[in-house]
Amino acid sequence: MKFTIYQESRIGQRKNNQDRIAHCYSRDALLMVLADGMGGHLHGEVAAQIAVQYVTEWFQREACPRLADPFQFLASGITNAHHAITDYALERDLPDAPRTTCVVCIVQDNIAYWAHAGDSRLYVIRDKRVLTQTHDHSRVQMMVDDGLISEAEALHHPARNRVYSCLGGDLAPQVDFSRKTPLLAGDTVMMCSDGFWSPLGNPAIAQGYSLEGVMLATPRLMDQAEALAGRTGDNLSVVAVDWETGYQDQTTSGSVETATMPIDVHTTQMEGFDKSRPRDHELTDDDIEQAIAEIKNAITKFSK
Amino acid sequence: MPAQQTNQPLPAGFQLDRYRIERQLSLGGFSIVYLAYDEGNVPVAIKEYLPNSLALRGEGQITPAISEDHLAAFRHGMKCFFEEGRALAHLNHPNVVRVLNFFRANETVYMVMQYERGRTLQEHVQKHKGNIRETFVRNVFARLLNGLREVHAQKLLHLDIKPSNIYLRTDGNPVLLDFGAARQALDAEGPVLKPMYTPGFAAPEQYKSPELMGPWTDIYAVGASMYATLAGSSPQAADKRVAKDHVQPAMQRWAGIYTEQLLHIIDWCMVLDQHKRPMSVFVLQKALAERHHVVQETSWLNSVSKGFKNLIRI
Repeated sequence: MKFTIYQESRIGQRKNNQDRIAHCYSRDALLMVLADGMGGHLHGEVAAQIAVQYVTEWFQREACPRLADPFQFLASGITNAHHAITDYALERDLPDAPRTTCVVCIVQDNIAYWAHAGDSRLYVIRDKRVLTQTHDHSRVQMMVDDGLISEAEALHHPARNRVYSCLGGDLAPQVDFSRKTPLLAGDTVMMCSDGFWSPLGNPAIAQGYSLEGVMLATPRLMDQAEALAGRTGDNLSVVAVDWETGYQDQTTSGSVETATMPIDVHTTQMEGFDKSRPRDHELTDDDIEQAIAEIKNAITKFSK
Repeated sequence: MPAQQTNQPLPAGFQLDRYRIERQLSLGGFSIVYLAYDEGNVPVAIKEYLPNSLALRGEGQITPAISEDHLAAFRHGMKCFFEEGRALAHLNHPNVVRVLNFFRANETVYMVMQYERGRTLQEHVQKHKGNIRETFVRNVFARLLNGLREVHAQKLLHLDIKPSNIYLRTDGNPVLLDFGAARQALDAEGPVLKPMYTPGFAAPEQYKSPELMGPWTDIYAVGASMYATLAGSSPQAADKRVAKDHVQPAMQRWAGIYTEQLLHIIDWCMVLDQHKRPMSVFVLQKALAERHHVVQETSWLNSVSKGFKNLIRI
């Protein structure tokens, strides 16, 4: 496998970041996962964290280095992550189970498989167009599907944030699975939270990824999304991969070649841990810097 | 999600700040210690804060994963790591490991220490089991106590003195290592932290009543370390001793092999009731030195008087 991957999570204008993202790959399989913890429910970020971590750990266990059945992996991974969240709520006797959206994608043998619950999205962009994308589990999306409102109207609909499927809720999540989607060299697979797709809309997203690779396009589009969202901007997160296997000889700097990886090794990148607001009585980054400065000072002072 | 996992060390050749990782020296529950080289190719020991119950570095990863759940605890533990750094930074003593630098990277913190060549007292004891000379014990512990006195003077307790934390430089000079458990416990204002102890060397008050800890707590560990040096293995754990004491007094166990003075001091340090131990390093040092002096004097007197007797006989 050969690809360039980029992921970033931003807090936006919110007080904490409830988005969680990760990607992980073995020699033969790539996992990307994104979860958007739901505000209005207790511990949204906890649900998102559990989901991302659970799926990532499940991948590390199962992809050795191949997944026997990617769809089976997606189904069991998401269902078990849902149960891990409800168990967490039960153990701690939380009045309301924390909830999160979730989108998970696997690429193996140049074929992409994905599944999602909620309104975090996955796009496949090919030849400057959105080849395919996930369908949100939201009332607004249903209205679009029924022809009641247009895509453009949906972006501003007051109920656009209401989702009817998520992990951690009282009901088992409704999970939609993709078809097996063969990737071509040059395809971009991008997953994002609503804080990203909602302000931008599909045309801007498709255009952004057509002009540049994920490394440059993603931060640029995130800047745009933040600017468009203005002062009420939500958390926004993206995991995006440029698929390079096969035809292209030219490698972008920062691309990953997995063919030389040992079969029992996984590379994992998880983000979003230090971006949420520090709790009270917790060592803040400033405290840490200060402690280190103090120690360094003492070292110099007493080294004579 | 499993609670206890093994953390992977940073790979050899990894450039960490201005140091190049050579290899892992040791792996503990709270940290990994590496041998590394600075830009001038000077070897250093780098201790990485990485509590394996809270942070996980998988194969091929650099930045450990810390779950949101564990972040508070992780940061709290970091405070203890800072305490260790602070403690060592304020000490400049030939018998206490020297801290050279402290920095932050990979979402955690690192302490750079002087790399000492030699071996631990534990390794030495195992190699020379049953063949440890009294002068060796006295030399090592007398110098070590100089370092410990300095530690106590900084209002710090080591709280984890044991043969594997006592390093013998190639010149035989001991160095006190690993202040991981060090707390500013002499300062009553500081918060009481969860104690950490090594069975066999930790004093009984470390298990049950940390508020009673003091220099005498480290002194128990010094006594137990001396005992272990002679025995070749750690003595019974203090909490078990409180229930049923199986530790044979040094005075009995090694009577006739080592001087009574030394054996008496070991037993004195290892008394379960903390009030009955030497109260300070100074007291202990004095006892060691004085008694030793007396021994020499007596033997000198003996030989002289023997000489006299011989003279008289003639």
